[in-house]
Amino acid sequence: MAIQVSGITKQFGHYRALDQVDLEVRSGELLALLGPSGSGKTTLLRIMAGLESADSGSLQLHGEEALGLSPRERQVGFVFQHYALFRHMTVFDNVAFGLKVRPRAQRFGRSEIKRRVMELLELVQLAHFADRYPAQLSGGQRQRVALARALAIEPKVLLLDEPFGALDAKVRKELRRWLRKLHDDIHITSVFVTHDQEEALELADRVVVMSQGRIEQVGSPADVYDHPASAFVYEFLGQVNRFDCTVADGVARVANGALAIPTENGVQGEAIAYVRPHDLGLSPSAGGPGRVSGIHVVGPDARVEVDLAGLTLEAEMDRERLSFLGLRPGDRCAVHIDRARVFPRR
Amino acid sequence: MVAASSTDDAALPSSGGTVLSVLKKPSVIPGFGLTMGFTLAYLGLIVLLPLAALAVKAAGLGWAGFWNAVLTPRVLAAFEISFGLSLLAAAINAVFGFVVAWVLVRYRFPGAKIVDALVDLPFALPTAVAGIALSALYAPNGWIGQLLMDWFGLKVAFTPLGIAIALTFIGLPFVVRTVQPILQDLPPEEEEAAASLGATRWQSFRRVVFPSLFPALLTGFALAFARGVGEYGSVIFIAGNMPGVSEIVPLLIVIKLEQYDYAGAAAVATLMLAASFLLLLILNLLQAWMRSRHAR
Repeated sequence: MAIQVSGITKQFGHYRALDQVDLEVRSGELLALLGPSGSGKTTLLRIMAGLESADSGSLQLHGEEALGLSPRERQVGFVFQHYALFRHMTVFDNVAFGLKVRPRAQRFGRSEIKRRVMELLELVQLAHFADRYPAQLSGGQRQRVALARALAIEPKVLLLDEPFGALDAKVRKELRRWLRKLHDDIHITSVFVTHDQEEALELADRVVVMSQGRIEQVGSPADVYDHPASAFVYEFLGQVNRFDCTVADGVARVANGALAIPTENGVQGEAIAYVRPHDLGLSPSAGGPGRVSGIHVVGPDARVEVDLAGLTLEAEMDRERLSFLGLRPGDRCAVHIDRARVFPRR
Repeated sequence: MVAASSTDDAALPSSGGTVLSVLKKPSVIPGFGLTMGFTLAYLGLIVLLPLAALAVKAAGLGWAGFWNAVLTPRVLAAFEISFGLSLLAAAINAVFGFVVAWVLVRYRFPGAKIVDALVDLPFALPTAVAGIALSALYAPNGWIGQLLMDWFGLKVAFTPLGIAIALTFIGLPFVVRTVQPILQDLPPEEEEAAASLGATRWQSFRRVVFPSLFPALLTGFALAFARGVGEYGSVIFIAGNMPGVSEIVPLLIVIKLEQYDYAGAAAVATLMLAASFLLLLILNLLQAWMRSRHAR
């Protein structure tokens, strides 16, 4: 186990940022901490790095108790959302920083430092920018410098705080793929914080979904998406139709019985049902209970809004399917739901 | 130097039009012509005109007459005292002003606002009042002067040391007020990054924080120095004003005026102006060079 978090609690004034959090990070994995702002994910990451203190609990880095250690004793690489490069240093000096500040006895010679820095700049594909200053680089390049700088100290774990948060959409996507590839090459235990579910699901080996200082669910991307453990996770991950229902004898009745959906778990009575838009099937039917109220085509996909006895549902399908069905706004249709998760109403 | 500065003055108004068209680059911000014209007219009227008049007056002496008026042991000694002690005082202020700014920004303590306001007092106090107060304190029979005399045999008031103290007093706010806002805006992430990369507190200060503040510190130093060179009121009370030992250039100019040696006074003033301008220009260029390396 690379990182073991047990019962970490952190309070800011009256606000509880982390509430008895337990988490294990496995060696060599790429783990995402995913949650809305204020869910405590960044606080947890900063506690791991030693940039924030915990009120109680324990933190082990490679089996060693680390809460009492200062950031510089933890040998943790940290990458900041806004890069935090040293503005007055060249790219080379930024990356060399961690090597140059070592105690004299552990410090490499000049030529060895140069060799290592150039090797890292090669790795992040910025070798020919060694003499530039951070202000002369684009956002994506700066973040790669920041990454090289963090890797220079040969950290045991790499922590990234919203590493793509300050970049525009296209660069973000490129850098995300690039980071995944880098991780596949060097296999350093990494934890990154993000509020972007797509980023977490695409990049991470495992995803930790957080809300209000607690961990809601830990699992593989497919796991948390397909089998959300709580209503919060369902709503947070991906688009979802959410509606009130009444469950009796394993069947959820929606909108005064206009729709009946079979359920698996043994929830009874008043409940909330969740259905992903792509799990919602439509078919043209003159006497159907639904009415198509709008169609939005986004690239290759189509989103169809359906009015069902006062409820607005959203279905998602590809454009071919839509033209096959021949649905137009105003048409009546039947609604089929194969899968729905039902949670008791709180 | 005088010749150079007077031709510059003469050349400016006539070449203003071409300078304008050369400097102007396409910009979305309107009003370049108006504001640039106003700036030039304003600076010309407020700054250049009096200085030009000074240079013209000095030019009345002729080239040889000018150097005769200026290259006397008394004048040169005064220059040495004025510029040397102003540099010394600015350097002292750079060190301790930096500490004051650091404390004001980095620590929360009761009375911080009062300390913050105290820093500006040397700006507001009439310099003569400061000079009299300081000389009373540091005179051989004053509170501090007496102790220094008894313990170290050190005479402060009415010596160059006294001048340095007066110049330090009036220059302090410049360093504090230039460093403070930059320190305030320094993102904490850079220091956090340094710490997580293994830097000690001292390494992170020396390699990360200080270099970011250095341009501002240099500005403060330059301002404190410029203020010191031009200072008159506070110095003459504490200096003792012995020619060749503790006589500053501004005082020498006044003495020449009182002797109706207007041209001589203008000559000394012109040389002083040129020397100050040169030093400030060097400091500004140094700073521009540093900023250009990590502008953002």
